[in-house]
Amino acid sequence: MTAGTVAARRRRPDLLPYLLVAPLALVIVGLAVVPAVYSLVQAFFRVQPLDPPTRFNGFDNFRSLAHNSAVLGSLGNTIAYTVIGMALTTVLGIGMALALQQRFRGRSIVIAVLILPWALPGVVEGIVWSGIWDANVGLFNSALTSFHLVDQYQVFLGSNRWLTILLIEIVQVWQITPLSALLVLAALQNIPDELYEASALDGCSAWSRFVRITLPLARPGIAVAMVQALILTLNVFDQPYVLNGAAETGASLTMQTYFISFQNLDFGAGYALSLLITLATLLLSWVVVRLVYRKVEF
Amino acid sequence: MARRALMTSRHPVRWFGVAFILLWSLFPLYWVVNVSFQTDAEVGSKPAHYLPPHPTLANYKALLSGAGDIPDQVRQGTFNIVVECTVSTVITVVVATLAAYAFARMTFRGRDLLFYGVLATMALPAYATLIPLYRLMSTAGLVNTYTGIILVYVSGFLPLATWIMHNYMVSLPVALEEAASVDGASRMQVLTRIVLPLAMPGVVSTAIITFLFAWGQFLFPLVLSSDISTQPLTVVITALQGRHEVPYALLSAAGVLAITVPAAIAVALNRYVVNGLLAGSVK
Repeated sequence: MTAGTVAARRRRPDLLPYLLVAPLALVIVGLAVVPAVYSLVQAFFRVQPLDPPTRFNGFDNFRSLAHNSAVLGSLGNTIAYTVIGMALTTVLGIGMALALQQRFRGRSIVIAVLILPWALPGVVEGIVWSGIWDANVGLFNSALTSFHLVDQYQVFLGSNRWLTILLIEIVQVWQITPLSALLVLAALQNIPDELYEASALDGCSAWSRFVRITLPLARPGIAVAMVQALILTLNVFDQPYVLNGAAETGASLTMQTYFISFQNLDFGAGYALSLLITLATLLLSWVVVRLVYRKVEF
Repeated sequence: MARRALMTSRHPVRWFGVAFILLWSLFPLYWVVNVSFQTDAEVGSKPAHYLPPHPTLANYKALLSGAGDIPDQVRQGTFNIVVECTVSTVITVVVATLAAYAFARMTFRGRDLLFYGVLATMALPAYATLIPLYRLMSTAGLVNTYTGIILVYVSGFLPLATWIMHNYMVSLPVALEEAASVDGASRMQVLTRIVLPLAMPGVVSTAIITFLFAWGQFLFPLVLSSDISTQPLTVVITALQGRHEVPYALLSAAGVLAITVPAAIAVALNRYVVNGLLAGSVK
């Protein structure tokens, strides 16, 4: 290599890294950043394709949401989905992780089975569970009548609001708990055995080992698990849509953005609602991280 | 002593937990399979049949080889979901691998800004960009096209895929790559001959997770495809369920068809799924 080519190379900026990241940058800027910013701006515009013109309207979209009874009902529903979902997912996730904490023959098979509901489409899981909750052919009704707990088949979905929400949320919990369990399990695997040995020598009970060692040291994993549960439950769509349709007893806020935008064709209000859901998701994720996450070093 | 006692202790509580995991994960799936092997009359019986009394493949035959509106839609939806998931997975993995290699092994102006900017988009809920993406695709004439759906999938899954591939590449030793470049290999040769073979488990994890995410999509393809030409199986089945005249046994068989592929992948390639999920979520 001559001195000339070395000098030429120095002068020319290295283009290869830019070529490698260009497709990624193009897709993310064009299909994520620009749409997100566009959405943020349009939330303050009147956007109704069937009834132009589009013009700036300040906070009118937000005001119309505040007076929309379907949206307010769905706000209550979504809070219930999120609270029930996060509680069940966290408790079940920690419980399942504990059951898998120690190695045993066949553990990898159990983990494979555990992951299964996470890997399946949410809407199809809704159909799977409709065979359990259904009023005419459902397994739950069949079991309750067999045990003489009810005299005749009941309508579970769509009659009582909170029961409907609980039963629908169980279906989502079925889908998202595997990842929570896996995240907590990964955190548990990092806890050194010596800590448990020392506590056993000190005569600690299983419960105090759990409360004093396992739980505090698993906090990073539990925090990540709770954040993923929060994001998914706060944005729940597939399960209530399939199991209960548009009915007010179970519609979620994300469903309302869909109805407002694609059925009422009021895109401005849809942008506004989706902006509010996004802000709530980011804010609450931050709160969960602050409350639950602790850096742990061994 | 304590260690042995701890490791070998047969906690009945733990076995209860393991039994719960197996039942909880498998029983709903058993139930839909059970129903799919029954006739309509059997499905309607009270109490329900916990085993198919006369197992029949009639529902599957009707869907796979039968004539009529519903089977046609299910077959078209199956074709569509396979095309959309496969193509978007291939594009996502290629783009993510190239970018991850640059992020993990090269220094360039704007690297950190771009890297963390891409990751930051993961914090947004997926549906935050639903309406603008629909309007963009609609303006570009890409509604009811594979291109539209695939572009949206790729943009949604790229940040996680890049993150998993980056973490995987960073964990690989650089010594081999340095040796290869001393021997005169170009950086692209280092990528294809040294890094990719070593990073193959990471590539497989990324591909599987991307494919499973794509297979599970519903709201995006629902909005981006108004007719059967591009609707994936998830959208088709949900539409069937909404038409209340579709028999439950047939619907169950369609549901089983839609979960067979992801279930087989999740079980058979379980190790890659678990590694990818942990590489993508923890840190």
